[in-house]
Amino acid sequence: MIDKMPIILDGDPGHDDAIAWMLAKASSQLEILACTSVSGNQSIEKTSYNARRVMALLGIDAPFAMGRAKPLHGEPIHAGNIHGETGLDGPVLPEPRVEAQPISAVELMAKTIAASERPVTIVATGPLTNVGALLILYPELKPKIARISIMGGGLAHGNWTPAAEFNILIDPEAADVVFKSGVSLTMAGLDVTLKALVFPEDFERIRALGNPVATVVAEWLDFFYGFHRSIGYAGAPVHDAVAVAALVRPEILTAADYYVQIETSGDFCRGATVADHFGFSGQQPNTHALIDINREGFIDLLVEAAAWYGKEQA
Amino acid sequence: MKPIPVIIDCDPGVDDAIAFLLAKQLPELNVLAISVVAGNVSLERTTYNALGLVEFLNWDIPVYRGASGPVFRKRVDAADVHGSDGMAGIDLPHTRRVVQDVTSWDAIYQYALEWKGKLEIIAIGPLTNLAMAFMKYPDLPKLIKRIVIMGGSTLLGNASPAAEFNIYADPEAADITFCAGVPVHMCGLDMTMKALMTPEELDSVAEMGSKEAVFFHDVVQGIVEFMGRLGIIGINMHDPAAMLYAADDSIFKAYPAGIRVETKGAITHGKTVTDLFSDAKWQKNGFVVMDIDRDAFVERVFELMRKY
Repeated sequence: MIDKMPIILDGDPGHDDAIAWMLAKASSQLEILACTSVSGNQSIEKTSYNARRVMALLGIDAPFAMGRAKPLHGEPIHAGNIHGETGLDGPVLPEPRVEAQPISAVELMAKTIAASERPVTIVATGPLTNVGALLILYPELKPKIARISIMGGGLAHGNWTPAAEFNILIDPEAADVVFKSGVSLTMAGLDVTLKALVFPEDFERIRALGNPVATVVAEWLDFFYGFHRSIGYAGAPVHDAVAVAALVRPEILTAADYYVQIETSGDFCRGATVADHFGFSGQQPNTHALIDINREGFIDLLVEAAAWYGKEQA
Repeated sequence: MKPIPVIIDCDPGVDDAIAFLLAKQLPELNVLAISVVAGNVSLERTTYNALGLVEFLNWDIPVYRGASGPVFRKRVDAADVHGSDGMAGIDLPHTRRVVQDVTSWDAIYQYALEWKGKLEIIAIGPLTNLAMAFMKYPDLPKLIKRIVIMGGSTLLGNASPAAEFNIYADPEAADITFCAGVPVHMCGLDMTMKALMTPEELDSVAEMGSKEAVFFHDVVQGIVEFMGRLGIIGINMHDPAAMLYAADDSIFKAYPAGIRVETKGAITHGKTVTDLFSDAKWQKNGFVVMDIDRDAFVERVFELMRKY
């Protein structure tokens, strides 16, 4: 039996964060050491409450701590148009079972990583505020971070603005710290996540599983697809789940290694992730950038994970 | 159909030279004038090259001289690609031709007035001359039907990781042009990187035997070597592809888009930003040309070069 990969889940749930966490908890390859919230899809109060409700639903009993209310620099932006007023609109969820620790997300991350015998992988599915702060405040922990698997960015284009993807746009300064850190990075950007579309017929495969978690996941997808359908998507882009899929089923993904920089200034490009395709910078690649996914394999992974919760409770 | 009245605004430049060879033979175009700008090499040199090329082609059109550098910035060049003389060391014939004594922007305006809204501009260098023209003549936008540019990219750059050379060389001028109110058709790297001619195809041109065909082959060899060092076998026909698009867009795919130029970003200045793929949408001010039927392109190049 191989050791499980120790991970920290850092996100701003958010429908696709919640589905990413659902994948993580169901995986026999991962061991969740801690969960942390970040301001992003909604305010920090809402994403923290959602994180704790999702943990209750999925049966994650790891310690939890709240992130800060704002990006490292500048003011927050939220995505209520996509995730609803609560940040996780749709099905009714159980009330939280885990209290927030009396320390910050950054402190919990540092404590968890310091205490772990093996290097820890961070799954960051929101703005990189907590991860950036961790690397600034605790640089000595870098060797104990195995990898940061990020949902964020897009080498070819953005979504919130033409040049920038939401998670990077919200806190480009934090992202800049992360991309310059030297820690191994996997980037699930829009290049791949827009190919990880979950179609309405896939929702039904998950709904048909019939267990309480699968039912909630199907209803999250119903809600999440509502916005995307209105702007022309053929399915729900469950962006964040790709950052977990990259850890548990890398064989369904294709990737390329690039030196990626974060634009923190500019009229149109703040928050852009810029890859050095031709080696202008003379720098070694710092990012394992995912560029394509076997969509069918991804859907199978989601269905298997949702099915796991039925077996767990049987 | 009557040929389209056009002015070619350029910075010769190896691939500009190839674009000239094709433009002279394109029945769809009525090339009224050449306008030069600093770009690949200095204005002095791009002017010399334009006059020499017109002489070489025995082409009876006037050459106008424009800006010696960007509107707001210091000049950058691409002599590493095109050679310090911009013609990869190939001698152009001596000529008694001289540049006209009006500037490019005044000439563009005069032609635009004369052609009463039918004039199109094919701009295959930095967009400084166009920006100057728009700054000087507020009524110019409604007198120009369309601008086809070689420049920009929705994905990657060739002057920096984010920016293509012609836009990088004068980002403010490019943004002024995109925002002028004339539809801009952007033949950027997305398409021109696919307009690749292989060394064998270049040899086929040379075998046609005319002095123009031999020049076509010889002038690009330095770039073929340069591209080889980047791992690309052959040459991307950036400017020639834009020229053929301006004449006949049937072998291309273009999409309406909002297009702006980043002028301030620390690592993205000179990047053309388009709303083609994002959830956020901008007002459409042009078209991004994304694709080309490469084989049909090469066929057309052969057909045009056989006319010499």
